[in-house]
Amino acid sequence: MSVLEAHGVTKSVGSGRAARRVLDGVDIAVEAGELVAVLGRSGSGKSTLLHLLGALDRADGGEITVGGERLTGRSERSLARIRLRRIGFVFQSFQLVAECSGEENVLLPTRLPGAPRGGASRARELIAELGIGPVAGHSPHELSGGEQQRFAIARALVNDPVLVLADEPTGNLDTTAAGDVLRLLREMTGRGRAVVMVTHEPEIAAAADRVLEMADGRLG
Amino acid sequence: MRGIWQEARRGVAQRRGRALLTATGIALAAAMLATAVVVAYSLHTGFERSAARADLPDVIARFDEQPLNRVRSRIKALPGLAAASFRLEVTNISISAGGHSSSHASVEVIGPGRRGFAILSGRPLGSNYGEVLVEQGVARAWGLHPGSTLELQAFGPVRVVGISESPDNVAFPLAVPRIYISRQSTEARFGHEADPDVNTAEVWVRDPARLDEVLVQARATSYGIRGLRFVTRAGVRILLDEAAGIVIALLVALSAIALLTASVMLASSARAEVQRRLAGIGLRRALGATRGHVTLVQALEALLVGVPASALGVLAGTLLARGPTDRLLGVLNEVPPGGALLWPLAGCFALTSAIPLLAAAVPVWRSGARAPIALITGLELRSSARGEGRSHRLPRPGGTLALGSRLVTARRVRLLSTLIVLGTSVAFILLMLALASELGELADNPAALGKRYQLTAALPAADAPSVAALPGVYAAAPRYEVQALDSYSLGETIDLIAYPGDHTVFEAPSLSAGRRLRGPHEAEVGLGLAEVLGLGVGSTLAAQLPSGREARFRVAGIVNSLQHDGRVAYLSAAGLLADEPAAGEQIAIRLRPNADRAAVSAGLQALGATPAKTSAAVGTSQSLIDALTSILRVVAIVNGLVCLYALIQALVLTARERRATIGVLRACGAGAGAVRVLLAGAAATVVLPAALAGVLLERVALGPALAHLAAGYASLALGAGPGEIAIVLGAFALFAAIAVMWVARLSTAETIVGALRG
Repeated sequence: MSVLEAHGVTKSVGSGRAARRVLDGVDIAVEAGELVAVLGRSGSGKSTLLHLLGALDRADGGEITVGGERLTGRSERSLARIRLRRIGFVFQSFQLVAECSGEENVLLPTRLPGAPRGGASRARELIAELGIGPVAGHSPHELSGGEQQRFAIARALVNDPVLVLADEPTGNLDTTAAGDVLRLLREMTGRGRAVVMVTHEPEIAAAADRVLEMADGRLG
Repeated sequence: MRGIWQEARRGVAQRRGRALLTATGIALAAAMLATAVVVAYSLHTGFERSAARADLPDVIARFDEQPLNRVRSRIKALPGLAAASFRLEVTNISISAGGHSSSHASVEVIGPGRRGFAILSGRPLGSNYGEVLVEQGVARAWGLHPGSTLELQAFGPVRVVGISESPDNVAFPLAVPRIYISRQSTEARFGHEADPDVNTAEVWVRDPARLDEVLVQARATSYGIRGLRFVTRAGVRILLDEAAGIVIALLVALSAIALLTASVMLASSARAEVQRRLAGIGLRRALGATRGHVTLVQALEALLVGVPASALGVLAGTLLARGPTDRLLGVLNEVPPGGALLWPLAGCFALTSAIPLLAAAVPVWRSGARAPIALITGLELRSSARGEGRSHRLPRPGGTLALGSRLVTARRVRLLSTLIVLGTSVAFILLMLALASELGELADNPAALGKRYQLTAALPAADAPSVAALPGVYAAAPRYEVQALDSYSLGETIDLIAYPGDHTVFEAPSLSAGRRLRGPHEAEVGLGLAEVLGLGVGSTLAAQLPSGREARFRVAGIVNSLQHDGRVAYLSAAGLLADEPAAGEQIAIRLRPNADRAAVSAGLQALGATPAKTSAAVGTSQSLIDALTSILRVVAIVNGLVCLYALIQALVLTARERRATIGVLRACGAGAGAVRVLLAGAAATVVLPAALAGVLLERVALGPALAHLAAGYASLALGAGPGEIAIVLGAFALFAAIAVMWVARLSTAETIVGALRG
């Protein structure tokens, strides 16, 4: 069963003579338990695709379905609810809130209105599972890059989403930490989840079940 | 230089929204400052300006009617005399015009020479019969102008040829209507007199610094001239300043607060903007721009935004304040400052332009001391990250609301400055409201003046027990009141009030110093009288009684009384009646709470008296009260707008700095509602402590301090009441809601992807 399906997705940026079509009819389907890598050069549109798949931005055309729910034509409120319950994000620069400890960052999505119950216990389990319990009370600036990314992954998983989207998740990490993160992403798929990551590094993409290459606004 | 100018213009154009927000803040701060400056400057300088324009004499001598030649010979002999003119002031004259009338007008018959009053419109009196000048208060109230006709007792219709302004007294309706007529007119009507009577001499001296010597000499040569009283120009100023003093003190304080508010708001806004742009500044420096160049560009940008905004704000503040201030000046018989306001307003403009300029340029200049790469990589921001040594923190309770609060508290200096701005603003708005409501009380509630009796009855003292026995009457006692003159001839009367027992049962103006009187040789004097005569506790009050006898009392206490500008003295009945057995008496009646007034009135009528309601002492001062209240409201409204701006600005700055955090939350599933909750947490962190601090500041410090300042006029309870606090807190809650909704809308209008890029 497809967790993620997208058909004919298009997106342009800029306007007038400066307008440029970044995505030109992208099709993609990702099954539960699958780790898919989208590989492409900088500026190829892979991050834009990830944003559209995660309902962070709206496509100009085409159709996207996540966990059986269509994103196209929905209100902003409804999209927020889908992001809250169905999708988890991992960013290259971690995007941890500086004023919150690692654990509090993980708890953030569980405290949003409409979040599934049991978030606090899931957060504790994830922190223990990812081996970051000893530094859970530390501020982000007191953590290493690898530790910050683990907290970011825990935050992405805390509401038990069906789809995890990772944007260059190893881009700011050394080789060892990057290897750990890839292992964690792989482990995520073991629970009926789908993971899509975008990267420009073929070695990282090689860890995925399937590699799709982005070129000229299309997935190959 | 042209390149720098164009760069600055481009910079402003590129951040139009933020420039508009900054400009709004500058305009509001400038408006607030200008409002305070217009009122304070106009009132503070009003008397001197008016006195100069009117050529007010250095001394006005009043005396019982004397032949002109007798007085003139004495005056001419005074040392250092520059000029003198003589008048006959006739009081209680009936006048009427345009459906209005008064039987208490004062008609001044003036001779040749210097006038001592200004002519606002029309022309001076000529030699024609039946021409008069009318004081501007009457002209305004009755709609008179040059060419109008006035019915003057014993003259019939007379023609108004000019409108005058006399700064030696307040205007109608605070004072009686005043009319000037020439001696030629009266002689044409009543016949020529070779040596007419006069009762007022206006004296100008060559060296006002030596006025004391002239007065000593004048007293020494005044033998045979009865009822002589002197009023000096400085004395008039003291008396008039009492009326405006409370407003001036309040506005001077408000100007200081406005300046502080403006400085904090503008500086924090400009600094945050610079902080945000440090990376760009670092990049420009890395590309070869000098420290001076980037500072100059930043300064020019600040000027481009600040100068028009400041000008607009000063203009708006001036327009807002001018109307009520001019009305107040009119009531005080003073001239609006006109062009003289230009310099103070230019100062406001310069200040409100310079603060954002400095706040923008100084951080950029200082940042120039750091390496460009440090600016580009954001080392500046990193240094502000706190939390070193706070490892292993336990998770704190709360959700999005608490996160909003933490985002605000992370910027402690800004939080503190916003709290100062909002807290002081809350306190001042509360103070304005409390003062406005107290002023309203003064106008129609005698209790505000310390009067506890509600009715009076014209009955002999012996009937007091019968009145006290009436159902609904709490207490009744004879009240004696006479008008005395100060023995040192201030030219003003003193109200002497006496009761047989404890006067505080009927009149209890609060004590400013000393204690209540205890015997027939003691007095409690009003603060106004104490200030004018230099009386203190333990000094002696000497009063000339209508009987011609002089009574002396030891000052036991000084009380806050508004009656007769505080020129009152409370005595024991025994002390007063010993020297003035014929003192006017009536029965003062204090009612029980919820007493049936109609039944009491019926009882008094059965005793043969018609009860009269006690009036407030400023019952005739409604125009003054209205003008003051208008000013207070204008200032409070401007202050409220500044608060709204400060709140929005604090939230906008937080939201702008935390774009990425808001983006992450939205990416995690936060909708517009959750963003509003986040911002509500931020707003509550600012508003709640500021409101609490403001209420405390007003009730504990500002209210009592202003009540002390006002002590010469009235016993004012300037601690804000629950109603006023509820209004202000409600307004602040509304402001917070507006700010939250607006900033949330701005934040969610941006795409999440854009926000995540910071």
